[in-house]
Amino acid sequence: MSSSQQPNLRLERFKAVAGNQNSILLSVLIALAIVFTLAEPKFFSVATAGNILTDWGSIVLLAAGQTLVIISGGIDLSVGGTLAISGVTSAWVMSTVLGFDITTSGSDAYPPLLVGGLVAIGTGLLVGLINAILITKLRIVPFVATLSTMGATLGFAIIISNGMPIGGPNDFSLISPINPTWMPLSWAVIGVIIVVTAVGLFLHKSRFGLHTYAIGSNSFAARAAGINVERHLTKVYALAGALAGLAGFYVYLRLGAGSPSSGVMRELDAIAAVVIGGASLMGGIGRMMGTIIGALILFTVQSGLIMAGVAPDWKKVVVAVLIAAAVAAQTLRPQNRAR
Amino acid sequence: MKEVIYEVKGVSKRYGSVVALDGASLKLHAGEVVGLVGDNGAGKSTLVKVLSGAHMPDGGQIELDGKQVSWSSPREALDAGIETLYQDSGLAPHLTVSKNVFLGREITKRGLLGKLGFLDSKAMEEKAHSELERVGIAVPASNRSVSQLSGGQRQAVAIGRAVAWARKVIILDEPTNHLGARQAGEVLQVIKEAKKKGLGVIFISHTLPHVLEVTDRIVVLRLGKVVRDAPTSEFTGDTLVGTITGTIQTIPEEDA
Ligand SMILES: Nc1ncnc2c1ncn2[C@@H]1O[C@H](COP(=O)(O)OP(=O)(O)OP(=O)(O)O)[C@@H](O)[C@H]1O
Ligand SMILES: [Mg+2]
Repeated sequence: MSSSQQPNLRLERFKAVAGNQNSILLSVLIALAIVFTLAEPKFFSVATAGNILTDWGSIVLLAAGQTLVIISGGIDLSVGGTLAISGVTSAWVMSTVLGFDITTSGSDAYPPLLVGGLVAIGTGLLVGLINAILITKLRIVPFVATLSTMGATLGFAIIISNGMPIGGPNDFSLISPINPTWMPLSWAVIGVIIVVTAVGLFLHKSRFGLHTYAIGSNSFAARAAGINVERHLTKVYALAGALAGLAGFYVYLRLGAGSPSSGVMRELDAIAAVVIGGASLMGGIGRMMGTIIGALILFTVQSGLIMAGVAPDWKKVVVAVLIAAAVAAQTLRPQNRAR
Repeated sequence: MKEVIYEVKGVSKRYGSVVALDGASLKLHAGEVVGLVGDNGAGKSTLVKVLSGAHMPDGGQIELDGKQVSWSSPREALDAGIETLYQDSGLAPHLTVSKNVFLGREITKRGLLGKLGFLDSKAMEEKAHSELERVGIAVPASNRSVSQLSGGQRQAVAIGRAVAWARKVIILDEPTNHLGARQAGEVLQVIKEAKKKGLGVIFISHTLPHVLEVTDRIVVLRLGKVVRDAPTSEFTGDTLVGTITGTIQTIPEEDA
């Protein structure tokens, strides 16, 4: 029987295909870094890398959840609002309820920060569950359901905070590069990398991930195969919400405050990262590694343009163009055109 | 005659104002192949979905082994040993052949990783291949995604999956669609094998010679009603066509 040789062959083929997609994205990333360095030599520095990675940390958490949602055939427009309401709620609990203010710093801040982190994740989880109820119980299409929660979360974030950032305890060393001369990663970014890697492993290696792909690929077939589609989608939106809550806490660490405006338009960045990474908005297609590199490309472009002297107002335009380009590149790819 | 394993009595199903099933009844014995025929829109696929748990009927009863059941999801019917090949789109196109074969019944790794739901993809690939071979369905490499297969190859995978998992009843909604003459012959062979093993088979097809060849009994649906239910030996090709189209008058049997 030749089947003893087949697994190796398959593995090779799989590596070739998966590697291909990622190496295209990596090449784009490297090419961008070279272009920006040629335009502005200061771009090539640990400081720039640190800035890009710090920006990346918040969006890649949103984008990781968004990847699951998009692969399942849905969309979550509420992640930016969820980030804001989670950061604000977390700050409010730490400062007003627990009574730790902005003067609590260093390791003294760890106990309240632990509570704050859990509150942020819990708040995000709650928003995710509300999305899930709107989508699976009330049968509202994801676009409209999450558009409503986006409005509601952004509104509540302002109501809770009276429109002003809420300061609280913090240890800024958590979010600063570990070593400014050679190590651009911060502990917070390392934490994000661990979380996103874990979510990626679940997506690609576990039953949970397989069912997510199956539902996005053909939800009737998934149900016919015995999958409880509603319950699974509930988990997907809840997880996306919890990750957005964690992103809210990350942004709190960055600002030392829960800011109601911190979530505005962040869903656009998250969707851009997922789409640049090669996921299909039709569902069933996407890879976590693509999203991770997609988010890096997004912030490399933004920070490169700013350093090259382009006015920051152009940022949103650039994100929009990147989304359009990525979707166009996807539909023009031969294997997708045939469908 | 062997015992009745699966039965529906007077089931009805409406889609909005469309009456798709109107008091249809059907019995299936162990080791029996029942042909379900009728014109387009007669309600065959709707009856399939009621039998597979994909649709809740608006009225009527379902009995499995003489006990009344009510499927609230396909999962429950699958767990009872009832496998279904749907007329269209029973597979997830972006998943590989082996993942489709094992969808809903994945093999997980041993130990802690398995408890967390981590999959043993290698085991699934090997088993998918051997299972499909065992039931006599030739499919290409099981690591290819279904969207890369031809229509006939997809159909073969879907049939193979249904037959490989079935323990009691197999429902095949137009399984020979998209198939060449040789592959269609293979499917008829597979049906005969299943019958020999004592499974009950419901076979739906518009290719009447296939129906006449492989079934023991034929149930004719017209506009959601069963207009004839008789042993296959009582039909010829012509009388079957006449019964389906309504040019041969039938007296609708009232429920006993
Ligand atoms: N999802 C649906 N929504 C609305 N009407 C439907 C739906 N599915 C089927 N119908 C209607 O119900 C009736 C029965 O359809 P069904 O698919 O059961 O027919 P069929 O006998 O399988 O036909 P075919 O031989 O063409 O497959 C038809 O009038 C059809 O238009
Ligand atoms: Mg049909």
